[in-house]
Amino acid sequence: MEEWKPSPAAKPHKKRSWYLAWKYKLMNQRALRKLCQTGAVLFLLVTVIVNIKLILDTRRAAYEEEEESAQDYDDEMLNVEVPRHPVNNKKVLDVEVYSSRSKVYVAVDGTTVLEDEAREQGRGIHVIVLNQATGHVMAKRVFDTYSPHEDEAMVLFLNMVARGRILIFTIKDEGSFHLKDTAKSVLKSLGSQVAPFLSWRDMWTFVGKKGGEVYGEKHAKSPALSTWGDPVLLKTEVHLTSVEDAECHWPDTELNRRRKRFCSKVEGYGSVCSCKDPTPIEFNPDPLKDNKVFDVPVAVIAGNRPNYLYRMLRSLLSAQGVNPQMITVFIDGYYEEPMDVVELFGLSGIQHTPISIKNARVSQHYKASLTATFNLFPDAKFAVVLEEDLDISVDFFSFLSQSIHLLEEDESLYCISAWNDQGYEHTAEDPSLLYRVETMPGLGWVLRKSLYKDELEPKWPTPEKLWDWDMWMRMPEQRKGRECIIPDISRSYHFGIVGLNMNGYFHEAYFKKHKFNTVPNVQLKNVESLRKDAYETEIHRLLGEAEVLDHSKNPCEDSFVPDTEGKVYVMFIRMEQEADFTTWTQLAKCLHIWDLDVRGNHKGLWRLFRKKNHFLVVGVPASPYSSKKPSSVTPIYMEPPAKEEGAVAVPAVAAAEQT
Amino acid sequence: NGAAFSKVRGSQSGQDSTRWHVVRKFLSLISSHNIPVYLIDPLILGLVDKDIEQIRSSPDGPSPECKYFCVPRDFTTFALLDKTWKHEVGLFRTAEKMGFQWLKIINKDPRLDGMDDLSGMEIPLHYIFKLASHAIHLVVFYERSGNYLWHGPLRLKHHMDRKFVPFRKLHFGRYPGAYEKPELLHVSIDDLKVQIPKNPSSFLEQMSHSRFLECRYREARAFFQLYPDDASLDAVEFRIKAKSLLHLAALTLNNLGVKFWLSSGTCLGWYRQCNVIPHSKDVDLGIFIRDYKAEIIPAFQKAGLPLKHKFGKVEDSLELSFQGEDDVKLDIFFFYEEEDHIWNGGTQAKSGKKFKYFFPKFTLCWTEFVELKVHVPCETLQYVEANYGPDWKVPVKVWDWKSSPSNVQDNGVWPVNEWDDVIQIY
Repeated sequence: MEEWKPSPAAKPHKKRSWYLAWKYKLMNQRALRKLCQTGAVLFLLVTVIVNIKLILDTRRAAYEEEEESAQDYDDEMLNVEVPRHPVNNKKVLDVEVYSSRSKVYVAVDGTTVLEDEAREQGRGIHVIVLNQATGHVMAKRVFDTYSPHEDEAMVLFLNMVARGRILIFTIKDEGSFHLKDTAKSVLKSLGSQVAPFLSWRDMWTFVGKKGGEVYGEKHAKSPALSTWGDPVLLKTEVHLTSVEDAECHWPDTELNRRRKRFCSKVEGYGSVCSCKDPTPIEFNPDPLKDNKVFDVPVAVIAGNRPNYLYRMLRSLLSAQGVNPQMITVFIDGYYEEPMDVVELFGLSGIQHTPISIKNARVSQHYKASLTATFNLFPDAKFAVVLEEDLDISVDFFSFLSQSIHLLEEDESLYCISAWNDQGYEHTAEDPSLLYRVETMPGLGWVLRKSLYKDELEPKWPTPEKLWDWDMWMRMPEQRKGRECIIPDISRSYHFGIVGLNMNGYFHEAYFKKHKFNTVPNVQLKNVESLRKDAYETEIHRLLGEAEVLDHSKNPCEDSFVPDTEGKVYVMFIRMEQEADFTTWTQLAKCLHIWDLDVRGNHKGLWRLFRKKNHFLVVGVPASPYSSKKPSSVTPIYMEPPAKEEGAVAVPAVAAAEQT
Repeated sequence: NGAAFSKVRGSQSGQDSTRWHVVRKFLSLISSHNIPVYLIDPLILGLVDKDIEQIRSSPDGPSPECKYFCVPRDFTTFALLDKTWKHEVGLFRTAEKMGFQWLKIINKDPRLDGMDDLSGMEIPLHYIFKLASHAIHLVVFYERSGNYLWHGPLRLKHHMDRKFVPFRKLHFGRYPGAYEKPELLHVSIDDLKVQIPKNPSSFLEQMSHSRFLECRYREARAFFQLYPDDASLDAVEFRIKAKSLLHLAALTLNNLGVKFWLSSGTCLGWYRQCNVIPHSKDVDLGIFIRDYKAEIIPAFQKAGLPLKHKFGKVEDSLELSFQGEDDVKLDIFFFYEEEDHIWNGGTQAKSGKKFKYFFPKFTLCWTEFVELKVHVPCETLQYVEANYGPDWKVPVKVWDWKSSPSNVQDNGVWPVNEWDDVIQIY
């Protein structure tokens, strides 16, 4: 070891001989081994010391808080606040934008703010919005303008961006196929000279100020249909303005301070950041008289869809009887923008480190959110659970206020839900009507604390079980035969298109035509008849007055139900046992209601509306209501389609078979 | 009017009217923002308590002299229930306009601390409003699971002005504290309209032993990293049963006014993993023998928990065991205090052998466990180490209460003629 100890008095000129000595010694095997050993030992020692120090430091930090500081009233934990964005005095930003078939990137002052070279995704026009005073990224979007309608979304977005912002565009792969003239002219109005002529597989980059100067544009034409334009790299400079110029001059109120903070950070929320006529962020809807749910906490379950969250919170805060203090937004992940939205509305938000993946992640997020809700509001007997992609009806709280006592008093109830799975435009009619159903719809519902604390929480699926929380809650082990109360016309509307289990087609087919109540202060009808036994009486009464439909006709056809209004009709379908939903599923399919699994049933009975008449479907002989079937009527049987074909199922019961 | 009063009274009696003025200003500040605070200043409540009958009977009567708010002090302490106000920034603007300097002490929210991976916003724990030479200490109380109110410790961050007020003299904030939800009373004292706890002496009594220990969530997480939690159905069900048994036991003992704490395995579960140890199979509580009441046994029986066995007697080694639902047992050990240690006894039924378990002296603190406000020994580590030895961090499935504890000692044998009395098995 001594051999290798550098002399502290060594002069700089000795360096060279040092090097030679090293080289020489290295050739000496023994010395080499020794060197390695020494090095290893030294390394180990250092590691050990560093580790010990680390452990000691952590311990100290952990305990000082409780022990020493208890005497000193000092918080020994260093609380260094690093500003999120360093203050930059520079007035000019260097911007680099790259467009190519397989990769796009944008760098601002050497910092990459966008980089996408993933295969099979990120196709289309990427747009970045920068704050013209600070250079911060305020929004990042990609519009797959190769596909239809995405250009409309882009126009919508660009129109929402405030004047003066810096816009950066770049194409990955293909961005022109469904880029229509409207969109092209919007791009042209931003100063692009190339946009009107963008064509198949062209590469394009553009930097400009909304309503102002153009900082640069580059374009590479695709030489042939089968090939892409050459990659383009645009390097340009953007001159920053002063902060005052970049902000609106709203009157100095607490609300506007929140607005200002929000609008200087993010873009794409439209009129909330309008200088002239900003849309309100406080709504003050009418309070509810005798509001039974004023003190019920509201948990909003959110992910990283801040625009959805924004829309959702607006509708929630506009609902009569809302109590903003009871609302907590739970964000799955450390996303800034959803938190910005929460702060804009002055609500409280909690972020949750994601656990597990996909459905299990959602499920763990739900559990953490529900537990936290009851921790934060220990007096609460219930919690309202909402998701970020729901519109909330103006009478949502009124609906709950009128029905919540049932959940408290009737132990045969599992939940109250604002959503009717079968409540479509053509199948829901009466805003004052409620049902009992054996399925749990979710999408805006009330959870009883005792159910959660005594039953669900202890057994909640652990992260390694990749279960959907709602599927799990619907399982018989959890539901134990209990039912949910739902309205005929939903008090929530599911607008989310982008989601874990969601896509455009699915949404269009199953959610878009859902009926949503817009009438305020609906007085619910006959709430007491929703109690377990009273409901049976009610059903028997209904079936007693119901007119039996002509079972020789095709139930899928409109003419199956007479052209009347306000009458009650009943039909009987075949249902061999409790779990036989063969005919129901076919009927649901042809009625264009939810058919992916069974929803909305109560003891083999479904209640909906057709042509403004109450329409009851009874499964025979499984349903206890089968006794109401006249002996002359043969229950309708509908065969499942043999293959994927057969969009319209044909009833297998011929008129002749009826006796 | 009030000012005139204080001038006269203040100068006459030679007392300090600054405090009275500051309190009055503060009260007008908070009432202008509709914030319902209540007085918890122990020194004033102590004085008030002596005159409580008179104050109650004439809640609006004028005061002949300034008796309470003119005693010169650096602070006057008020409480604020968090859920009763909206954290408006406006309050502080008004305060500044009125000449107050203020300080806010925030910290993380303990209600979320026990949960993995949640990061909420920090919550305000204390406010100090200073005007002239007097300061108002406003302690923020939070409702927590277990039907109690909690206030946080007061810890200064580095950038804070340590000399803002003489922090060490504050009555609240050295430790976090747990309190019952008080009933409040509107009164007028020294011509100031304030709310006070309806029963000041009970509040002061609570205050003297209000210290609260948060569960060691960080360490519990580390424990579960090393020893993953038992997620079997048996474990889940045992925890549900143990929790409900503990709730029932707490209700029964609290109704009798008998102070108890988590002992043995239940205490270890709280300290080590902030949860019931699923393989422990019973719930253990400790009670000082001086708090023993004959009604304990009938009260448990009435609550549906029959006596399973009774070992020892009040004078020596008393131990009760009640049968809960489905084989979950509630063990109550009675603790005997000596000069320099505390002990409890054990008895082996078949041999009549006696055992003694030694503990260093301890005091009791509040904590929250399975949504219950309960006592634990403040000196928990010593307590747990006495019982389970230095390796208490390592889970052990096989445990013999006669030989495994590190604090056990043989203590002779019960005389045979006493067996019928000191070994009762049902």
